Amino acid sequence: MSQIAPALEAAPTAVLHTRRRRGVRGKWPIIVLFLPPALVLFTLFVILPMGEAAWYSFYNWNGYGLPTEWIGFKNYELIFKQSAFRNALINNGLIIVVSICVQIPLALWLATMVTKSIKGAVVFRLIFFLPYVLADVAAGMIWRFVYDGEFGLVANIYEFFGQNAPFWLADKNVAFSAVLGVIVWKYFGFHMMLFIAGLQAIDKSVLEAADIDGATGWQKFFKVTLPLLGSTVRLSVFFAVVGSLQLFDMIMPLTGGGPSNSTQTLVTFLYSFGVMRMQVGFGSAVGVVLFVICVTLAFSYKRIFMRND
Amino acid sequence: MTDTAEPIDAATANSGGRSLRFGTKAYLYASLLIVAAIIIIPLITTALGGFKTLGELRGNAFGLPSTWMWSNYGDILMSHRYWLQMGNSLLIAGLTVFLVLALSAMAAFVFAHVRFFGSQFLLNYFLIGLMFPAATAILPLFIRIRDLGLLDTYWGVVLPQVAFGLGMSILLFRNYFRGLPSELFDAAFVDGAGYFRFFWHIALPLSRPIIATVGIISFVGSWNSYILPLIMLNTESRYPWPLGIMVYRGEFSTDWQLILAFITLTITPTIVVFFAAQKHIIAGLTAGAVK
Amino acid sequence: MAGLELRNVAKSYGPVKVIEGINLSIGDGEFVALVGPSGCGKSTILRMIAGLEDITGGQIAIGSEVVNDLTPKERNIAMVFQSYALYPHMNVYRNMAFNLELAGKPKAEIDRRVREAARMLELEPLLDRKPSQLSGGQRQRVAMGRAVVRDPSVFLFDEPLSNLDAKLRVQMRSEIKALHKKVGVTSVYVTHDQVEAMTLADRVVVLDRGVIQQAGSPMELYREPANTFVAGFIGSPAMNLFQATIRGNTAQMADGTTFAFEPDGGASDGTAVTVGVRPEHFQRQKTDTALTGTVSFVEPTGGLTFVTLDVAGVPVVVTTNGEDMIRTGDSLTVYVPSKNVYVFDSGGRRVSRN
Ligand SMILES: Nc1ncnc2c1ncn2[C@@H]1O[C@H](COP(=O)(O)OP(=O)(O)O)[C@@H](O)[C@H]1O
Ligand SMILES: [Mg+2]
Repeated sequence: MSQIAPALEAAPTAVLHTRRRRGVRGKWPIIVLFLPPALVLFTLFVILPMGEAAWYSFYNWNGYGLPTEWIGFKNYELIFKQSAFRNALINNGLIIVVSICVQIPLALWLATMVTKSIKGAVVFRLIFFLPYVLADVAAGMIWRFVYDGEFGLVANIYEFFGQNAPFWLADKNVAFSAVLGVIVWKYFGFHMMLFIAGLQAIDKSVLEAADIDGATGWQKFFKVTLPLLGSTVRLSVFFAVVGSLQLFDMIMPLTGGGPSNSTQTLVTFLYSFGVMRMQVGFGSAVGVVLFVICVTLAFSYKRIFMRND
Repeated sequence: MTDTAEPIDAATANSGGRSLRFGTKAYLYASLLIVAAIIIIPLITTALGGFKTLGELRGNAFGLPSTWMWSNYGDILMSHRYWLQMGNSLLIAGLTVFLVLALSAMAAFVFAHVRFFGSQFLLNYFLIGLMFPAATAILPLFIRIRDLGLLDTYWGVVLPQVAFGLGMSILLFRNYFRGLPSELFDAAFVDGAGYFRFFWHIALPLSRPIIATVGIISFVGSWNSYILPLIMLNTESRYPWPLGIMVYRGEFSTDWQLILAFITLTITPTIVVFFAAQKHIIAGLTAGAVK
Repeated sequence: MAGLELRNVAKSYGPVKVIEGINLSIGDGEFVALVGPSGCGKSTILRMIAGLEDITGGQIAIGSEVVNDLTPKERNIAMVFQSYALYPHMNVYRNMAFNLELAGKPKAEIDRRVREAARMLELEPLLDRKPSQLSGGQRQRVAMGRAVVRDPSVFLFDEPLSNLDAKLRVQMRSEIKALHKKVGVTSVYVTHDQVEAMTLADRVVVLDRGVIQQAGSPMELYREPANTFVAGFIGSPAMNLFQATIRGNTAQMADGTTFAFEPDGGASDGTAVTVGVRPEHFQRQKTDTALTGTVSFVEPTGGLTFVTLDVAGVPVVVTTNGEDMIRTGDSLTVYVPSKNVYVFDSGGRRVSRN
């Protein structure tokens, strides 16, 4: 063995690899034992259901027996006719807009502050990240209390000023704005952590070079820091988009999609109109639409904005 | 320390630098404190609210309770349901974490180190799972679980949860395994180890950081999850806590003081664990995003 | 352009004192190297001059103006970082132009100055490239270019060559020297490499643990090291240092070997001292002091061979001509003239004349 070692060391790595792979026996046993468990589970509970959703979506079916009543694209037509669906679509869009225009700038701003060398910076980071760790359901419930017009914090604030408190979550013009507030509250910490990681990856001496080059604080931020955070910003937007399309758990305790469907998201819509009514065909069609939206957005975003990241 | 092997100076790597002006500092702290207050006040008032009477909540939601109603918390802690729900959540999360770790580490190892025809295709196949949430296929999933006779069992929640976690976990594990120094493999193979031995004695013991990351992601996801148990479970005694909260709220609809106490007790474990293991949790939850 | 003056400059991080109180006056156009082992505070001093680090005591003046409270921008200095610190998202041109842009200079002037600097540093073909598309040596040049375009009062270099391979380092060393000749700007150059410091600088300042050990021309430091630290730090291979005791006009080692030297007061009979002899000062011809030992180690480098002698248990490094065929185990006698024997007192200060 000691004789082969120098010879092996001398060989270029690429050659070494192919040789090793050819030389080591027992490649099939490990493939056959290690892959199938994951493969079976994944196929059974992820891939097949997605395919079945596409299949069921052409039927009117309540989930019992076999789907027999073929109705073509009727379910899809129905979806797009529903004003609740349009609300859901618009709401998902709004969540993305608010994420980009409010949440991400807020997260970036806070990230720049808690990466300064000040006392307590780490504690602030923890506090800001805390809502992200809490379960959506718990956060939704807490904010339902906050917004409560009789017992909640909002009620108490209005009372303090001698006013009658409104029930924001019960007002279809206000409810979704209230929900957006909770979304920002719950998720900005995650984006902040991404930005902290991004900021820490910037070579500090580059910023010092900018100091020496005579950049002011703002110039440093906009001409050096921000361009260097480009990939983090794109990543952050990506997660905002993906997160919006999955939003369900937090809406349920807050509003359940109401009042009058003003706070539906795509997933709560699927739940209210597909699952609750056991409309398997219709619900599956909604799932397919959601799938198409997810895949299209994910793909085109990655193509267009994240090519070089 | 050798002189030449010093890529960046201590002074530039450390915080160092010029101290901030007083005005800047005041502005920083003011901003940070305001945001921190917006985060914390809802949480504190929730916890305090659990000590109040309903009547007091109406006029004094912010302040300390005038009399501390320990019984609100006491009753819940004495009740069977709270502990049962915590136990259910723990069991479901535990099973999920174990299966995710086992299945994804094994599969990822094959993708990282065994060359065979179709491996790239199969990897991409798993990555499809990253592109859409479980909700999209929730109805067919429900029917599958029902047809398998797993409805209203823990497995009915665990198996789909594991399946949807595989994409990200396999990716994280594979990248990690790939990043291990290749000399290690050469050395092990020269020493006569086969793939199995190599996986068990070398790759896994070196993978603690990524095991922690994947474990944390899966655990937090399962512990907090709502939609899958909502759809797969019917019997209240099997409910994990997020479902339990909703049921509790349904039962005590306007008895906010009780609901607040219940919420507080259900999120306490999360908060305690978060502060105890913050470094790992933050790293784990953001690692999935960054890598 | 301007001179630079450090008056009793100190720095502490909390309770830890890193710089003890430095006094240093650098003339207009002078090239000064700060040299010392890693962690001795070189970068800290440089960064205080640049305004990147608070000064906790004393004053720094550029020209006649005390700059303690000025921002880096207001100090009109240029700095070359060890990591180069190029802006990764800007091409070479913009990296060099950035400072002028920020200063609001007209486009035409910026262009003229950037191109002039680019020509001087042979960067013209690279102007459109991003830093990631450059080799280490090219990046280093851009970092220099960024410093020269702006016509600063002081140039600061923080180990600018330590990320380059040995050959490039020698080449860039001479380019920096040529550049300084051409532009003549006051320069402070930090390095842990004594050869770099000696070859580049008009004056070398040796630092240890935040204290200036000695400042002087390169040859002064070599010929007249003020203490054992400087003696050991300057010169390669390092000076041999032995424990000895003063006996009249000689210093006697434990094994009885006596070194003749030229005392300069302060060394009375019987005091414990340290004797220093540079490896290159040993010779084969018979003269004042002889040392005999067994060859324990031979390191040929081509022109010169470094031989380690075992003299009664004490290792002694001797530089010999590469053509002398010396083998391990040989017995060898070498000689040293008394003018080349350094003697330091128990505090490390030199007490011999040379
Ligand atoms: N931000 C800091 N906090 C505490 N100590 C520091 C800091 N920066 C540098 N030091 C210490 O100051 C000393 C001098 O550092 P430095 O000037 O970088 O040394 P050099 O450049 O000579 O290698 C070192 O001992 C280092 O550990
Ligand atoms: Mg340094």
